[in-house]
Order: sequence, then structure tokens, then C-alpha cells
Amino acid sequence: MTEELKVAVDRKPNGAVLYTKGYINNVGGEEIANRAYELMDAGVRTLLLNLRDTKIVNSIGISILIEIIEKMIDKGGTIAFCCLTPVIHKTFQIMGLANYARIFDSEDAALKELGL
Amino acid sequence: MTTTAERQMELTLPMVADIEIAAARAAGNLARELGMSSEKIDEMTHAIIEACINAREHSGCADNRIYLRFVGTSQDDGSRIDVWITDHGRGFDPAEARSRRPAAGVSHKRGRGLQLIEAHMDEVSISTSSGGGTTIHMVKYEKKES
Repeated sequence: MTEELKVAVDRKPNGAVLYTKGYINNVGGEEIANRAYELMDAGVRTLLLNLRDTKIVNSIGISILIEIIEKMIDKGGTIAFCCLTPVIHKTFQIMGLANYARIFDSEDAALKELGL
Repeated sequence: MTTTAERQMELTLPMVADIEIAAARAAGNLARELGMSSEKIDEMTHAIIEACINAREHSGCADNRIYLRFVGTSQDDGSRIDVWITDHGRGFDPAEARSRRPAAGVSHKRGRGLQLIEAHMDEVSISTSSGGGTTIHMVKYEKKES
């Protein structure tokens, strides 16, 4: 069985929003990474990941998200997340991801705060 | 007087990609039948996913199977689900695995599965021996509001 993750991109004047739908595992994490690195190569330095349609993550998927964050920090940019379920929020905190990326309750709050 | 109702389920699953989702869904369905809250179910399913991934990635078992048993119990004061996840692999040293992991909240790419399991469940115990396989027993409780 496979649980394919879908990623949609919404380019904004000052960055981009990635919308994920489905399970963030190793394959899903790589899909997010591919899209994020394309955007970084195109000069995007502010990236918001909206996880409203993702209900399950695993530790391998999160390790890939941490790699994306590290690459963005190396480029002087910012990555943030919004619309996390409570358990995903808790998992991000345990994994240390919340130390390097901002987390917002809503997309509106994130867009306003990040200036997207 | 306390009344108790039990529901049990046993599954044997092949170690193939994303099979952990099937295990998590089965446990989630049982938990919903018991009236567990979605937040408790989400925590339990994430723990089951990590346990299945650990078995698939690290057990090195020859039979390529994960054996799962769920027991759901309803009582007057709430409900609980016991989950046993077993592999017939090489076993591991839980103390050594815990000693290698970074503190909670510190960014680190791998080796977090057991830490997440322990964070998301109310009780976790591990039976493992070199060459004798591993069973993780974990429990999730939901107390009724009084």
C-alpha cells in the first residue's frame, strides 16, 4: 500500500506557500524537499508549509523537513509551518523542529507575520 | 460496580512500504469504537507508526512480518487500549538506544522513534533479546470527565 503525498505551491510576492496533503513519510518528505529546493534555487527565501491536510507524519519525514530548514537557514531564509494538528505540533517540538522554524495556528497569521 | 467490555484484534502484516498506516488505521478504528477522543487516537496512531517503522527498518527479521495485537477495554471510568507490536528479528538494547538520543527539543535527524513512542503513549515496556525478537507493549488511557 502507498500513501502518496500531494504538494501544491502558491507563489507569493515575497515567498511561497506549500500545501501538503497526505502522509509525510520518507517519500512525502522528499517530495516536499524537491519542491522547496526548486523554490530556493529560484530565489525564494521565505517559505510557509501549510499542513492543514496532513494528519500523519513520521520521524523519517520530519528528519527531511529538518534538512530543508537547515538548507534554508544556510541561505539566510526562513521556513515556517501552520495549521498543524495537536499531535503533529507535539511531535515537532519533541524532534526539535520547533526551535528552528516558527509555527502558526492559522495561515492568515503566518502570512501577516512573515510578510508574504 | 465497574463494568468492563473488551475488544480484541490480531493482525500479521508484511513489512512493506507504508504498512504502518494499515496498523494505525486498525487501532484507530478500535479506539473510535471505544469512544476515545481524536487527540488520544492521533497520539496512539503516531506511536504505532514509529514502532512499525522501527521493526521494519531495524529488526532484520527473516520472516518479514510484524505481529500486532490490540485489546480495547471500556470501564465506567474510561477506556484503555493495549497494543503489542512484535517482530522476530535480532533484538536491540533499549538502554543503549535511549543513551544515543538527543534531549527532547534538540534538533536531530534520526533515532527519535522510541522517544516519540514514549512521548505519545501513557505506558511503554519493551521485551527484547539478542536474536529473540522484540515486543513493544504500549498503553493509551482515556479517563472520562467526572
